[in-house]
Amino acid sequence: MSRKQKILRCPTCRSVVTEKDENFPFCSDRCRSIDLGKWASGAYRISSPIVDPEVLEGLAESIQGQGNDDDQ
Amino acid sequence: MATKELTPAESAIPANGNGSYTGENIKILEGLEAVRLRPAMYIGSTGEMGLHHLVYEVVDNSVDEALAGYATKIEVTIHVDNSITVTDDGRGIPVDEMTLDNGEKMSAVQVVLTKLHAGGKFDTSTYKVSGGLHGVGVSCVNALAEQLSVEVWKDGHTWEQEYAKGIPTSKLKQTGTSKRRGTKVHFLPDRTIFTVTEYNYDTLAQRLRELAFLNKGLTITLTDERTTDAKTGESKRAEFKYAGGIGEFIKHLNRGKSVLHDKPIVMEGLRDGVDMEIALQYNDGYSETVFCFANNINTVDGGTHLSGFRTALTRTINYIGQQLGLFKDVKENLTGDDVREGLVAVISVKLPQPQFEGQTKGKLNSDIAGTVQALVNERLGMFLEQNPPVAKRIINKAIEAARAREAARKARDLTRRKGALDGGGLPGKLADCSERNPEHCELYLVEGESAGGTAKQGRDRKFQAILPLKGKILNVEKARYDKMLGHEEIRAMITALGTGIGKDDFDAAKLRYGKIILMTDADVDGSHIRTLLLTFFFRHMQGLIERDHVYIAQPPLFKIKKGKREEYIKDERDFVRVMVKHAAEGIVVRYGEGAAKLEGAALTKFMGHLNEYLGFFDKVNKRLRNEEVTNLLAHAELTKRADFENKTKLDALYKDLEKIQKKYQFKGLQKPVQDEEHQTWSLSFSDAQGAERKIDWLLASTPEYRQMMSKHGQIKEMLEPPFVVESAVKGAAAAAEAEEEAEAEATPAGDVQVGKAVPPGGKRGKAPLEPVEKQTPRELFEYVIEQGRRDYQVQRYKGLGEMTAAQLWETTMDPERRTLLRVRLEDLVATDDVFTTLMGEDVERRRKFIEDNALDVKNLDI
Repeated sequence: MSRKQKILRCPTCRSVVTEKDENFPFCSDRCRSIDLGKWASGAYRISSPIVDPEVLEGLAESIQGQGNDDDQ
Repeated sequence: MATKELTPAESAIPANGNGSYTGENIKILEGLEAVRLRPAMYIGSTGEMGLHHLVYEVVDNSVDEALAGYATKIEVTIHVDNSITVTDDGRGIPVDEMTLDNGEKMSAVQVVLTKLHAGGKFDTSTYKVSGGLHGVGVSCVNALAEQLSVEVWKDGHTWEQEYAKGIPTSKLKQTGTSKRRGTKVHFLPDRTIFTVTEYNYDTLAQRLRELAFLNKGLTITLTDERTTDAKTGESKRAEFKYAGGIGEFIKHLNRGKSVLHDKPIVMEGLRDGVDMEIALQYNDGYSETVFCFANNINTVDGGTHLSGFRTALTRTINYIGQQLGLFKDVKENLTGDDVREGLVAVISVKLPQPQFEGQTKGKLNSDIAGTVQALVNERLGMFLEQNPPVAKRIINKAIEAARAREAARKARDLTRRKGALDGGGLPGKLADCSERNPEHCELYLVEGESAGGTAKQGRDRKFQAILPLKGKILNVEKARYDKMLGHEEIRAMITALGTGIGKDDFDAAKLRYGKIILMTDADVDGSHIRTLLLTFFFRHMQGLIERDHVYIAQPPLFKIKKGKREEYIKDERDFVRVMVKHAAEGIVVRYGEGAAKLEGAALTKFMGHLNEYLGFFDKVNKRLRNEEVTNLLAHAELTKRADFENKTKLDALYKDLEKIQKKYQFKGLQKPVQDEEHQTWSLSFSDAQGAERKIDWLLASTPEYRQMMSKHGQIKEMLEPPFVVESAVKGAAAAAEAEEEAEAEATPAGDVQVGKAVPPGGKRGKAPLEPVEKQTPRELFEYVIEQGRRDYQVQRYKGLGEMTAAQLWETTMDPERRTLLRVRLEDLVATDDVFTTLMGEDVERRRKFIEDNALDVKNLDI
């Protein structure tokens, strides 16, 4: 299957980048460091659907047990 | 010290025509001697900068005439011998005779050209404002010129005088009549003083352009006689004239950049005797470009005018941001650095008797910060209040800058070492291995505390290290929950890997393990955590992927048990394969009116294809929401664009749909219609729920449709109902043992496939089946799988934690038996896309994406 060359974008500022760029997949070191900062501050969160009632119970427990968590 | 160089001063004596050598003369000559002795003190250097400075000095005098309102045009010419001529149309230097303090009589021209600190510059009534070099201006140029000639046109006459190294070689003479007005100075820099004697056109052009910007309406030309056009024979020439002043300067500086607001913001005012002209405009870049001038002198080191401007800019933007309520989620005020990202500004002040710091006037010291600040506070504030859209764009950019600054700080925190009490600094949660050669070491990144515990027990501690990562649950609502990897998790991971992070610090060679293996549950959540980790590696540790260090573990999804025999199965596809293979040992499927027979390996293969076909079928059906319609569509074989360009096949499909429209209460079903825009035919109807369903080329060009049709093509001969399932006749079981074609995915890591296939048993001892008839492919599929499952106890693993340590070792961690997927860079480009959608700010799009894809774990697999 012939696939078109996909346009790649900097994850931070969405400007177009190529794999040859020095800072790929970012356009610049600035954008790299902004992204790293987002990881460091827990800005990236994934959202999952709850399909199993058991899972829900487990989650409720884990949230309660989170009180003494050392994060941030 | 070359005392001999003082001879010019001595030689000046006869030139004066005055035989007496007196103290007075020495005093007068002292000034220019000093310039020749220490030129750098007066013009900065004897290199390129100083050489060009000579021109600026002469030009500045002409600009002063323009500032005073008398000159409109200045012409600068570089001659072939690198001598310079500067001509203006000002009032002309005064030629009348003056009496000096010592009683000596001398023409004003000569005073200007030979006396330091002479000229009209210190007398504020002559020039309100002036640039020049502490008033030493032209006399310095004269002192440092091998030759200098001056020509003055004034009151209908022409006056001329010659100098050499600052000493007059002729008297000021009236040489003719002229209707012109102005001054011409021609000089040749002294080659014994300057280390560089070649003028640079671009350097001069840049400064002259600046001067033209700074002095609205003034025309400055630059002609370079050293460079001539081959065709016309004319010298290289440029003319600088800007009616728009520094506003135009800003546009010039921003050319080719994309700006946040079309027009530069211009602020002008005359206060406390300071004439201020300030303009600014933001572009979408991150650097700051500010030029500041005091009396046309480029104050490269800033000074009071710049600091006043900066204070006001920061204050005003913060103030307006508060007023507009833009700081809701910003904790602190914006800093000066924040508000200056992408700023292009020109500050030009003109004031009497400016105070500078340093030899080259790089910094303005006059006490005007408050004056500038007040003007900017007032005017910029007013502008932003009156132009809220511009204000919002500028302020939002500054907020973005503040966030970036904060992000960079947090990023630095990731690798900052904790206190000395932490020992070696390895994370406490890491269960490290004893092997020290990284090549032989493996690090398992395991999500979930319980899975982490199991992995710690199950591992081979010699070479396998375990780092449990705990996804932090943020909230649970509306049948979904949000999770993230906190600061400590990311930090622990980076520390355990040992590579450091960030452009300057990351070093793949410092990796402490040869293999990094992501081990997550085989469910949606596990798949999301994996996406999260892979995205992190892709973005910030790409070197590890390029060097083939990153792998994905393949824990089994099922355990099937028959009697005492257990078997692990890694995914749905394998599960179907095993079940079908087992079922095929005892059954035969007949299809279609002719009752053709499928059995043994052919049946297994067919069921594999059927499974995939049904998968794609379901996706297409999401668009149509009616299995019978989707089924008819698959049979209509509308695959190519050509099938939509004429309506033969659509007509047939229409007839099929007509038959079922009552049953499903379809409305508005019509014969195929042609779409004018694309010249293709399409069918549409609305279903019982009132939703519009359309069968057209757009639908047929979706990937799921294409894949469905491709699978359909492989098995369409067999998709003929009715399907009859019956017991196999004797001997059929043997055929089933024939190895079906290897459908399994490639196992790039080279490790052994998961689980050992249970040898198909010879004696089944099953009760023979009564023939059963099924009408649809799905019913057939489900029935066959059910037959396969009959003899097995099937356990589906919901998480790694459900396995015992021994099971986890056996199935997922033992290098002899496990399967690993190696992560390749190409795969991750796609992962990053998935991630971007998952993280996207468009909540609706994200929700839809997760609904459409998340339940299909395969889809998020790499």
